Amino acid sequence: MTQRIPEAQAPDPQVSSYQQPEIIAWAQNLTKIFGEKVAVEGLTFDVPRGAIFGLIGPSGCGKTTTVRLLTGIYEPTSGTAKVMGRVPSQFSKRDRERLGYLTQSFIFYPDLTVWENMNFAASLYGVSFRRSKRLKNLLEFVELSEEKNKLARNLSGGMQRRLALAATLIHKPELLFLDEPTAGIDPILRRKIWDYFEELRAGGYTLLVTTQYVGEAAYCDLVGVMAQGRLLLVDTPEGLRHRAYGGDVIDLRMYTPMTYEVRQSIDSLPFIIAPSIQVDNRELRLVVDEANTTIPKVMEWARDRNLEVESIGEYLPPFDDVFVKLVRQEEREPYA
Amino acid sequence: MRRFGAFIIRTSSFIMKELREILRQTRLMLALVLGPFLILLLFGLGFRNEARVLRTMFVVPKEDQSVREQVQTYATTLGPQLDFRGVTDNEGDALALLSTGAVDAVAVIPGDVENKIRNSEQPVVHLYHREIDPFQVSYIEYVAQIYVDELNRRVLRSMAEEGQQSAGDVQDELQAARASARAMREAFERGDQQEAQRERTQLNSSMDSLTLSVGTSLGVLAGVQQAYGTSDESAAGQILSSIEQIRMRNEELGNSSSDQGSYNEEAQQSAEIEQDLEQLEEQLQDFRQIDPQVLVSPFTSKAVSISSTELTSSEFFSPGVIVLLLQHLLTTFAALSIVRERLSGTMELFRVAPISAFETLLGKYLSYFFIGAMLAAAISALVVLVLRVPMFGSWANFAAVLAALMFAALGIGFLISLLSETTSQAVQYAMLVLLFSIFFSGFFLDLRLMWENLRFVAWMIPATYGLQMLQEIMFRANPINPLLMGGLLGIGLLLFLLSWAILRRQMRTR
Repeated sequence: MTQRIPEAQAPDPQVSSYQQPEIIAWAQNLTKIFGEKVAVEGLTFDVPRGAIFGLIGPSGCGKTTTVRLLTGIYEPTSGTAKVMGRVPSQFSKRDRERLGYLTQSFIFYPDLTVWENMNFAASLYGVSFRRSKRLKNLLEFVELSEEKNKLARNLSGGMQRRLALAATLIHKPELLFLDEPTAGIDPILRRKIWDYFEELRAGGYTLLVTTQYVGEAAYCDLVGVMAQGRLLLVDTPEGLRHRAYGGDVIDLRMYTPMTYEVRQSIDSLPFIIAPSIQVDNRELRLVVDEANTTIPKVMEWARDRNLEVESIGEYLPPFDDVFVKLVRQEEREPYA
Repeated sequence: MRRFGAFIIRTSSFIMKELREILRQTRLMLALVLGPFLILLLFGLGFRNEARVLRTMFVVPKEDQSVREQVQTYATTLGPQLDFRGVTDNEGDALALLSTGAVDAVAVIPGDVENKIRNSEQPVVHLYHREIDPFQVSYIEYVAQIYVDELNRRVLRSMAEEGQQSAGDVQDELQAARASARAMREAFERGDQQEAQRERTQLNSSMDSLTLSVGTSLGVLAGVQQAYGTSDESAAGQILSSIEQIRMRNEELGNSSSDQGSYNEEAQQSAEIEQDLEQLEEQLQDFRQIDPQVLVSPFTSKAVSISSTELTSSEFFSPGVIVLLLQHLLTTFAALSIVRERLSGTMELFRVAPISAFETLLGKYLSYFFIGAMLAAAISALVVLVLRVPMFGSWANFAAVLAALMFAALGIGFLISLLSETTSQAVQYAMLVLLFSIFFSGFFLDLRLMWENLRFVAWMIPATYGLQMLQEIMFRANPINPLLMGGLLGIGLLLFLLSWAILRRQMRTR
C-alpha cells in the first residue's frame, strides 16, 4: 500500500468523556423493543479508542439496530449508551461532525460521478469548499482516482463500497460506524477492504464494524458475538477461540496409528483439559491451557513411550467453527 | 460565523446535486420544455373559436307539402350552426340515422300547425340528439331555442309585411274618408245638417272598412312591439289610436240636431277630422316604410369588449398551461425527492450527519426552485416569442407570480413526499393534485360557474391564484393583485412549515 492514510480528527478536549480516552463508546444493558419484538436486549460493552471493534453475528441478530442505537437514529427502550461522552439521541451538530457512518447498502447517487458524490458528502458534513486536495487524497486511498469522473452507477460493487468508504471519511471523523461494509463482496475484495480498515486504525481512527462473515473476526481487535438480539460475549479473536474450545488447540500427528491405550494415556495427562478429538487413526486434536508451554510436554510424553511424532503444532480453528461452538454453548448455558 | 458558513455549505449540498441529476437527463429536460409548447401549438391548430355545426335532418308530415318547402328554405338560411341534411316524412328513418351518428340532430316539425295556433296551442318542434356530454346537451338546447326564436321572428315578420301591404291597400278607403270629411265640413258650414249627417255616415263606413283592412295586423303588431318592450308610441300603436280618435270625433258629430241655429262648432270638428285623416295618411305612409325586421325586432345586441385585445383559444389557455405545468412538474419533482432518499437509505445518513431538517428542506427547495425557474423561462420564452401569445404586462410581475407559484407547488410536493411510502404512491398523489387542479383551478371551467359555497375548494389550489394573476398580467397589463399574491404565498408558507415539522419528526431519534 502506497496510498496516503487519511488522518482522524483530534479528540475534542472540551468533551468530558475524553478524560477517559481509552473508551470512546460504551453501552450498559442497552435494549430496544419494537412493539412486541425485542430487537436487542441487555447489550453491555466498551469500545476502546483506536481499536477495530467487530460486531459479528448472523443476519437479523441485531447488529444494525445496535449501530442505530449508537448513532442516535434509535432511542433505547432501556439501558444507556454513550458515544464520545454523549447520549446518542442528544448529539449536537458538533458531535455528529465527529462521527462517520457507512450504511448497509450503497446509498450514494447513481447519476452523479464519483467526484460529485464525494463533494455532496463533504457538503453534507459542512466541509469547507477548499476541499479538493482532501477529496483527491481519499480517492487515492481507496484507489478510485482513475474513476473520479465515472458515474456511480457504472462502478463495480467493490468500487461502490470503496466510494462509500471514502465518502464516510471525508470529514475526518474520530469514530466510524461501518454497517456490514463487506456484505455481498468477493473474498479478495473483502480482504482489501479490511486492509483499508487496518490502515485507518493505524491513522488513529476508531472503527465499529458489523459483519456476518464470522471469519472477519480475525481482523478485529475486539469482537462482540451477537445472536438473537443478545451479545454473547466480547473478547479478542484469540480469546474467542479459547472460550469456544475451553483452551488452545494442538494437532498431534504420529507416523503410526494410535491405539486405544495411547489415546487413554494422553487424555489422562494433567495438562490435557478436555477429551481428545480423533481426526483420523494417526492424528488427534488436543485442548490445552496454553499451546506454547504444552507442546514440549507432549513431545516428552511421546519420547517416553517410543512414539514417533510426525508433526505437532497449534491449530487455529476457523472462526465459523468458533462461532458455532460459542452459540451452541450459549444455547446450553444461557447468557446471564 | 463558522456555524453560518457550515449552514450555507450544508444547504448548498442539494443544489448542485439535484441540478446535476436532473440536467443529466437531457431527454427529460427537452420533453419538459418542448412538451407544453407542442401541446399549445397543437391546441391552437386543432381548436378553433367557432361554435359546433349540427348536422340536422328535418321530419315533416307527408301531407304538409308547403311546410316541407318552407322548412327547406328556413333550414338553409337559419344560421351557420345548422347544417341542413334533408327533409323526410319518416321519423323512424331519421332517428335511425341519428343513432348511428350520421346526423347530429333530428328536428320533428308537428303537423296541422295552423289549426293548433287557432286553438291557442303552441306547436312543439322536437329536437332529438344523442349527446351524453352535458355541455353538448346544453349547447344543442341553446341552439334549438335560438333557432325556434328565429323561426318565430320570421313568422312575425311576415305578419308585419302583410300589415304594411294592407296599409298600402287602404289608400282608396282613406281618400273616400277624406272626401266624406271635407263634404261633411262644407255641409256644416252651409248649415245643411241633413247632408252633413249623410256624409258623416259615409265617413263612418269608410273608417270601418279602413279598420277592417289594417286593424288586425296593426293590433297584432302593436302587441308584439309592446311585448318586446317598445313604448305605447309604436308605429302600429299610433295608427290605431289615430283611427280610434277619428271614429270618436265622428261619433260626437252624430249628436248635432236639425234645429240648431249655428253649426260652426261641428264645422270646426269636421275640419279637425280632416286634419286627423291627413295625419293618418302620413302615419300609414311612414308605417309602410319601416323595415318589418325592425318592427318585430326593434332591438338587437352587439357585445363590445373594452379589452385591448381579442384572444384565440390557445392564447387564452397559455397562462393556464404554464401554471399547471409548472405546478405539476415541481410537485412531482418534490414528491419523488424525499421518498426516494428514504427508500435508497440516504435519509438514514442525513439523520446521522450534522444536517438538520431545515437545511435539508431548504436545500431541496432551492435546488428545485432553480430547475423550475429555468423551465419557466424556457417555456415562457417559447410561448411568447414563438407562439406569439400577447404579453402586455410587466415581466417582473410575471416572474414574481411564477416564483410564488413554484414555492407553493414545491410545498405540495414535499408534503406528498413526506407522507408517501413508495415512489409510485408519490406519483399517484401528484397526479391526483394535477387532476384536481385541472377541474377546480378555473383552467377550463370558469370559477364563476362553481357553486358559491364550494368555491373555497378552488382557492386551496396554488394554480388557481397563479392562473388568475397571470391572465391579468399577460392580457390586461394589470398589476399583481395583493390579495391573490398574499393567498398564494400564505399557502406556500403553510406547506413549508408543515413539511418542515414532518421532516423534523422523521429525522428525529425514534
